[in-house]
Amino acid sequence: MSAETDSGGDHGLPDSSTITRWLVTTNHKDVGILYTVTALFFLVFGGVLALLMRIQLWTPGAGFLEAVSYNQAVSAHGLIMVFWFLSPFAFGFANYVVPLQIGARDLAFPRLNALSYWLYLFSGLLFAVSFFQGATFAGGWTMYAPLNVPVYTPDIGASTAVLALVLFVVSVTVSSVNFLTSMHRMRAEGLTLRRMPIFSWTILLTVWMMLFAFAALLAALLILSSDRLLGTQYFAATGAGGSLLWAHLFWFFGHPEVYIVFFPALGVMAECFQTFTGQRLVGRKWFIAAMVLVALQSFVVWMHHMFLTSINLEIKTLFMATTIGISLPFDLMVFALIYTLIKGRIRFTTPFLFSFGALVLFIIGGITGVFLGAVVLDYEFRGTYWVVAHFHYVMVGGVTALFGGLYYWFPKMTGKMYDEFLGKLHFGLYFVGFNLLYFPMFLSWETPRRDFVYPEAFVSWHQLSTVGGFVLGISFLVMFYNLAKSLVAGEAADDNPWAFSTTTEWALPSPPPIENFPGVPTFASGALEFRSAEAGDRSAVEIADGGGEPAPDGGPAHAAGTDAADHEEDHASPWPLAVGVASFVLLLGLSGLQRGGFPSGVEGGFYVATTGVGLAALGWTLVRLARERFVGPSGPFGESWPFEAVENTKLGVWIFLASDVVLFGAFIGSYVFIRVAHGWTDWHELVPEAHVVTPGLVNTYLLLTSSFAVVVALVAAERESRWGLVGSLGLTFGLGVAFLVNKAMEWQHLFHVHGETFANGWVPSTNVAASTFYLTTGLHGLHVIGGLCIALYLVARAWNGAYLDDERSIEYFGLYWHFVDIVWLFLFPLFYIL
Amino acid sequence: MNWGVEQFARAVGLAQSGGGLVPRGTRVDVFEQIFWLFLALGTLVGAVVIGYMLYNAYKYRDGDARADPDRSTRVGELPGGGDGGRKLFYSFGASTLIVISLVAWSYGTLLYVEQDVPSEAEGIEVEVVGYRFGWDFVYPNGHTANALRVPRNETVQLSVTSRDVFHTFGIPELRVKTDSIPGQYTSSWFRAEETATYRARCFELCGAGHSYMTAEVIVMEPAEYEAWYANTTGEAGSEAIGARDEDRIGAPATPGGPATVAARGVVG
Repeated sequence: MSAETDSGGDHGLPDSSTITRWLVTTNHKDVGILYTVTALFFLVFGGVLALLMRIQLWTPGAGFLEAVSYNQAVSAHGLIMVFWFLSPFAFGFANYVVPLQIGARDLAFPRLNALSYWLYLFSGLLFAVSFFQGATFAGGWTMYAPLNVPVYTPDIGASTAVLALVLFVVSVTVSSVNFLTSMHRMRAEGLTLRRMPIFSWTILLTVWMMLFAFAALLAALLILSSDRLLGTQYFAATGAGGSLLWAHLFWFFGHPEVYIVFFPALGVMAECFQTFTGQRLVGRKWFIAAMVLVALQSFVVWMHHMFLTSINLEIKTLFMATTIGISLPFDLMVFALIYTLIKGRIRFTTPFLFSFGALVLFIIGGITGVFLGAVVLDYEFRGTYWVVAHFHYVMVGGVTALFGGLYYWFPKMTGKMYDEFLGKLHFGLYFVGFNLLYFPMFLSWETPRRDFVYPEAFVSWHQLSTVGGFVLGISFLVMFYNLAKSLVAGEAADDNPWAFSTTTEWALPSPPPIENFPGVPTFASGALEFRSAEAGDRSAVEIADGGGEPAPDGGPAHAAGTDAADHEEDHASPWPLAVGVASFVLLLGLSGLQRGGFPSGVEGGFYVATTGVGLAALGWTLVRLARERFVGPSGPFGESWPFEAVENTKLGVWIFLASDVVLFGAFIGSYVFIRVAHGWTDWHELVPEAHVVTPGLVNTYLLLTSSFAVVVALVAAERESRWGLVGSLGLTFGLGVAFLVNKAMEWQHLFHVHGETFANGWVPSTNVAASTFYLTTGLHGLHVIGGLCIALYLVARAWNGAYLDDERSIEYFGLYWHFVDIVWLFLFPLFYIL
Repeated sequence: MNWGVEQFARAVGLAQSGGGLVPRGTRVDVFEQIFWLFLALGTLVGAVVIGYMLYNAYKYRDGDARADPDRSTRVGELPGGGDGGRKLFYSFGASTLIVISLVAWSYGTLLYVEQDVPSEAEGIEVEVVGYRFGWDFVYPNGHTANALRVPRNETVQLSVTSRDVFHTFGIPELRVKTDSIPGQYTSSWFRAEETATYRARCFELCGAGHSYMTAEVIVMEPAEYEAWYANTTGEAGSEAIGARDEDRIGAPATPGGPATVAARGVVG
């Protein structure tokens, strides 16, 4: 897309007119464009599903779609729009713009950034495949239990959809670690956190929320996958607490998710309001403070989605208060945006129209949300089109601003100006279509949600909605035509086509060159300057991109720095794409699992073979990714508060472990929740006598000793003792293997216990106690296996003399390994003693 | 919208002249009062705020006559805040006051709905069991039916659960709704003031037959109800109304593949 400026072979990158370029690129700007284009594809995908629903709703109880197909359309529309369109669309801009705004040459881990993209794309493709495996998931985007288990949704496609979500969450986690490390560590000199542009601020808070919220979702999805594939019993209808457990886990993620998708839109609105009024944002610091407050508080409002469940009045009151509390900061933000208009010089360009329209829609969405905050009203609105209308005004209202962002940054990303008339036409059709579509839903609010039989009295409102839906759809044809036409034959865009814009990306050519800046960007003098590289005393210390096992199974193993001091940064690697393909194949194969076994016959053979190929390919590609020599952006960086002393990779490991804490926390919380629901002391009746403390105790000793061995390994590396290093790492590996062997023997024994109560052994599907035991300690076991893979890799390299001059890889592996041990110290008493 | 105005007048009237500030009465009454007040205030606030936005957008539109802003922004400056902080806080304070007082006011009703269930007339209790795709109503004597028969002007206490997946039981016209969750019991209540037939339905996606998961709610004269109830017994008295028979076929005790097939049959 940026063919004119990128000469062929730039920094090892093929020309942008070639397909290869887009398959191997790791540059944040390319990845940003890939995200944007892919997200638009999923917009069309989800949009077509929505139109199918609107056709069905033309008359009550129409037969256009079968009931099962309608439910699939409802569910897939929600999942695709929320996961594969909304956030990735915003992260297209985040990828492209945030490094430019903060003055970084790329994200901290460029290959992991490319990996995030490919995992995102392939998770979406996997979801698309699920339609062809019987049926995709048809239980709504909220996936309430126990409708989400195979007893009620038996199709393989439903499992595939869940696995696609797992892969998507892995992509999000990798991306969050990358953005957090980059934004905290790699800002230009003088660009303190407080001075960061507002769009970057919204992204920073978004990724913090993502890191923790998506970890909770990952826990929910892994448990669900296990219920679907291995036959564990967490969400089965027979349990007392499974249904509520899902609701808690899902909404603990689900409510922060609302702000995760809305914050970037808020950032775009603020940028466009400032640029197109020529004014600075009124009350900027309060605006930021309000967002920080919302980000924190978003984790304590989730139960307002559950007011009609069996939670008690005290809890309802508490969550009503926190919910009202979280709505108030938004009032401040809305007023700040409105007051920014005053005394400005407002130019009604397409980006401003979309931002302005977005604010109008958000105000309507916000006011109708207050209705839901009043619990008594919520009781009646629950499960009706009031909710549907409200959250479409909020979320699609946010999308409106993101389309403003697309027009705003289009000249920067492509170097071409869009057609202003067509842009305004798009806005006109979009705004009319939007309100025709969603406003009648408030008037016909008594229509039950996800229902295609509704009272006759609402027919005309629903027909109006359907017409609006098609107008909205047509408006996008105008947009696609505009963008395609402008890309081919648009006028060349200046560096800064907008008067009064302020942020750094507008000081650069459109599109910016691969290295972004003409020198080292600095704000030390109070305004942006580019210092020449020589004067800037830039020492090109090579810091390799985090290789080894990517999240979530391992902390990045560090490839050692070398002496190639003047080596230029790399921008291409084929391995992120390869890992994406391998993950896709592996999960496609695993989707065939049900109750721990594959189907019989040719179909089963296909799934077994696919799983095998995928597993082998994933291992191989990960090793190649780790072995590849790759030079990412290096320091020194201008502003790194509060992590000046923590090197990029180390910070990445820490941030990843923080999300892993939430993952295990959610697993442990689920165990406690289910055990309490069952009756804490009655639990023992579900556990055989043969489940004794000894194996767990032995494993505790093994793991603690192995942690000690890693400490010894680090000391050996510091003292440059090659064989000491190999020996102690080997000991760690051996103890880890002993841990797994001991566990395997214990499990084998429990699988085959005999007795009156457990005639068929104690296997994961026996009862909910067995499920929690095997799954939670199994997740820990997977972490041990991941750690051992890294350890083996380290041993092999240490054998050849690596790490003696740079022991950081050993240190980072140690962080991960100690974490895994600490987790065991929690699991041991919970599952063996209490 | 005459109807709306009337409703609103009634709502405000009731709120002031009824039992003090906190709306009371049947669930229909309290919902109407709170909803219309929220709607009136919400519309007012929305109109004022959006109107103010449009006014300013028009007033400060770019034109040849307009000079650059006093302190123009330029590329590369460090982000800073604009003027108008005081006004921002006044508006914020005003909106906070409106939102908090509205919700606090409705909270009084929440307490009433949750705790001071009207007990002027002696009530009845019914257990509601959701299943794919219908409802069982179990009376204290063990009588189980697919239609809910209740006496007029008496409080009906509902204890709701589910036999399979997560459902939500609701009777829209009577403004009563509560989740129907396997392994859990939720409770709610309602009182119908007129003899009529209403429709209860499911409000949480539960599978292929979700759109058709309905049941009749028949409000009877108390005397008539007593006569009917006296004739029911726990064992043989299970009645099923009309098409609901078919639905029961689609809801075996152990759901799965066959259930889905049956459900497809019902719907298609």
